[in-house]
Amino acid sequence: MKTPLHLNLLKEEEHFSSSPVRLRVMMPTAAVFVALCSIAWFFLLVGKVHTQAHLNEKLKQAVASITPVYAAVLDSRAQEQEYRAMARQLGIYTNSRILFGESLSLIAARVPSCIQFTEMRIPQPTLADPAHPSAAPTNRFEQVFLRISGRTSGDHPSEAVNTLLAELRTPVFTNLLRSVSIPKGAFRQDNARSASNRDTLLFEITCECQPRRFE
Amino acid sequence: MNLDLSSLKRLAPSMRWVIGITFAAVIVSGLVIGFGVRTQLAALRAVNAEIAERNATASQMQSDISKADLQKKATAKAFADLDTLSASGVIEPLLGSFAMRSKSLLDPIAQRAGFHIDSVRELTPITLQLPQPPPGQVHYRQPIEFTGQGSYAQITTFISQTENTYPMTMLSSLLILSQPQTPETHRAIITFEWPVRGEKPKGLTNGTKK
Repeated sequence: MKTPLHLNLLKEEEHFSSSPVRLRVMMPTAAVFVALCSIAWFFLLVGKVHTQAHLNEKLKQAVASITPVYAAVLDSRAQEQEYRAMARQLGIYTNSRILFGESLSLIAARVPSCIQFTEMRIPQPTLADPAHPSAAPTNRFEQVFLRISGRTSGDHPSEAVNTLLAELRTPVFTNLLRSVSIPKGAFRQDNARSASNRDTLLFEITCECQPRRFE
Repeated sequence: MNLDLSSLKRLAPSMRWVIGITFAAVIVSGLVIGFGVRTQLAALRAVNAEIAERNATASQMQSDISKADLQKKATAKAFADLDTLSASGVIEPLLGSFAMRSKSLLDPIAQRAGFHIDSVRELTPITLQLPQPPPGQVHYRQPIEFTGQGSYAQITTFISQTENTYPMTMLSSLLILSQPQTPETHRAIITFEWPVRGEKPKGLTNGTKK
């Protein structure tokens, strides 16, 4: 019986795989390919960065060229806002205006004949926070008062003063006067005058006017 | 990792070349990607971001510039509105004096009303109360005090006509005092308030006299 003899005379490194893809060829080929690709990628990126930097520079120049025109537009816009703010300020001032002339004219005709005014006063405006007068005020209401001092005599002086108070409370004056009152102790005898005029009574009327509204 | 050089030496020269080339290629790839590509990618991202920002800025600027004519018209209209408002009552100083300006404006009215003006003086300006005061406030309340004499009717006519003639002028304070020696003629201190324009003056007070 014959026994087949298998004789292998090849060295190990001389063996060829039966596979068509040989590792010892593919591995360096792939590695070199990857290296070449990465180099190519690098150069592509360099080119792209250069192009974009050029584009960026052109954009920068374009922006710089329109900046003066744009600045003029911005100036114009700022100017408009400033004008409008100034107009708003005047609008606020105008809204706060109270008219006295007509009401003051009408008072004369409504004073009873036995009453004589000695003083009529509208005090200076006072701000709510006198501790910080120079700071820009935020209180937008300003109280206004009209104070009338006078004297009366005759048979019924208190009635005459009451009549005057009632007249000042009529709708003719409500546009200006919000409340009319005689403060406590402000209706009194005139002790300073001579004995013959002791019948004369002094009075003070405080009228709270409509407030000035700065809004 | 231990690199056994003796095992490498046992390999055939061709195999050693294969390993060497592969190893070198991997090193080159790593270096190129690690130092070159990554740096360029970062630079590209930065420059792209800058371009995007510049594009946005440029398009915003172009958009605003395209509305320049409209803006000019709006500014001109705002100025005209302000001018109209100002002309109706904002006073300018006459040779540096608001008092003299007011006197020049109110003298004719006082003459018509029969009120005799003795003296005029300027009081300390008052800050205009605003919801949100601007940093450089430009309008103030300028009280001008007129001292004079006249009958009650003459005084009230003077006040009424002033209010009617100047729609921004307001009676700020008033004092009418009867005079025993002249029962029909009273002494009056009338303070009119005018809006004035100017830089924010230092030391504004709450309307106290100078």
